[in-house]
Amino acid sequence: MPKPLLVTPIDEERVVRILWDDDRVSDYPFDYLRGWCPCAVCQGHGGERRFVHVEKPQLVSIGTVGNYALNPRWSDGHETGIYTFEYLRSLGDQLESQDSDPVKG
Amino acid sequence: MISAQEVREHLKRIPYPGSRRDIVSLGLVGEIVTRANDVIVHLRPSSASDEVLRHLTGRIVALLSGVPGIGQVTVHGGRARTMGEQPSPVAPPPQQPLPGVRRVIAVASGKGGVGKSTVAVILALALKALGNRVGILDADIYGPSIPLMMGTEATPRAGQDKKIYPVEKYGVRLISMGFFLDDKSPVIWRGPIVMGIVRQFLRDVLWGELDYLVVDLPPGTGDAALTLAQEIPLSGGVIVTTPQDVALLDVSRGIAMFRQVNVPILGVIENMSYYVCPHCGEREDIFGHGGAKKTGLEILGEIPIVEDVRVGGDSGTPLVARHPDHPVAQIFRQIAQRLVEKTAVLQ
Repeated sequence: MPKPLLVTPIDEERVVRILWDDDRVSDYPFDYLRGWCPCAVCQGHGGERRFVHVEKPQLVSIGTVGNYALNPRWSDGHETGIYTFEYLRSLGDQLESQDSDPVKG
Repeated sequence: MISAQEVREHLKRIPYPGSRRDIVSLGLVGEIVTRANDVIVHLRPSSASDEVLRHLTGRIVALLSGVPGIGQVTVHGGRARTMGEQPSPVAPPPQQPLPGVRRVIAVASGKGGVGKSTVAVILALALKALGNRVGILDADIYGPSIPLMMGTEATPRAGQDKKIYPVEKYGVRLISMGFFLDDKSPVIWRGPIVMGIVRQFLRDVLWGELDYLVVDLPPGTGDAALTLAQEIPLSGGVIVTTPQDVALLDVSRGIAMFRQVNVPILGVIENMSYYVCPHCGEREDIFGHGGAKKTGLEILGEIPIVEDVRVGGDSGTPLVARHPDHPVAQIFRQIAQRLVEKTAVLQ
């Protein structure tokens, strides 16, 4: 499983830029990342993952969880999302495959 | 006078360590200020380690100083910051491995009663016997048994800033919940408290310089084990089991836990593997044989059922300390050697 080599939030562009150790680079817009939060508060129990709309989410910080995930903290206090590297890669694939709606996909 | 844009173009020649991508396209370079001939480069907060930032700062200064027309070069930032009322995105704090601790090996089991703590203690002493500086973190906070097995009831000394010093015995540093409980009080705690204590053990113990920290996890795949995997980058996990099929069923749960949190599994130690009759010398496979092989993982060693191992634990003088030349002590030294090799590759 590829791991992030460098994680850089860029305020001006409202994205988190991730450099992976296989040299792939993906930009994750704040709205997109917040919307696809995988936590149980956002997604409930089971069923299909859905996009949670949040007005202009602001990233406060983003930390690593052990060897396997990233955990962002948002300005609305939400911080329960643990994004596994695997999940982030799949979000990256989804972002690249869609040019129609960069936010919801 | 040079423009910020020109400086940015120059910086595109610096790749990020371990990648072909340059630091400008990766977004690491933030604001650039030029004043007369002087240049100030601000790096964005990111997950880059201090070491990488020092390296990059050196490269930026060296590169720009060589450009005609540039005078003084200053590099700022890179670290997390908080400014004004509007919190700005800050980067992940780079995962803080325990300061001074080079490798952390977790000893786990899918179920209780397989001799996990006994194995952890003897293994730690075997690593020490190979010339390493070793610590033991008894994370089995519900049933901390390591103080008894190591034969110490000392109370850890307090240091400054609410830090604690580990207890030392047989040349191994040791911290355990057992030091803070009296013998009879049962530990009845909910998950969040357990997590808080494990965290405190990780952050507030002054381990000093260690080559290996052996962590004795609680049995099963619960809170303490998960917290450990989340809080520190474990170098690897070792799973202790007994040979029968029922134990193996639980081992697969332990394997799944390590896999889920991306911790490499170094191998399996089969404890109580067989019994050698002290009278006739015949070997008997009480719990069956070869079960651990079914896991598909490397078998690090097979530990026979030997009274000396049990006596060592109960009397607080673990086997390797008590009988360094015992055949089972030799098995442990081989396991320790193998772990040293395997974790060296991982780093």
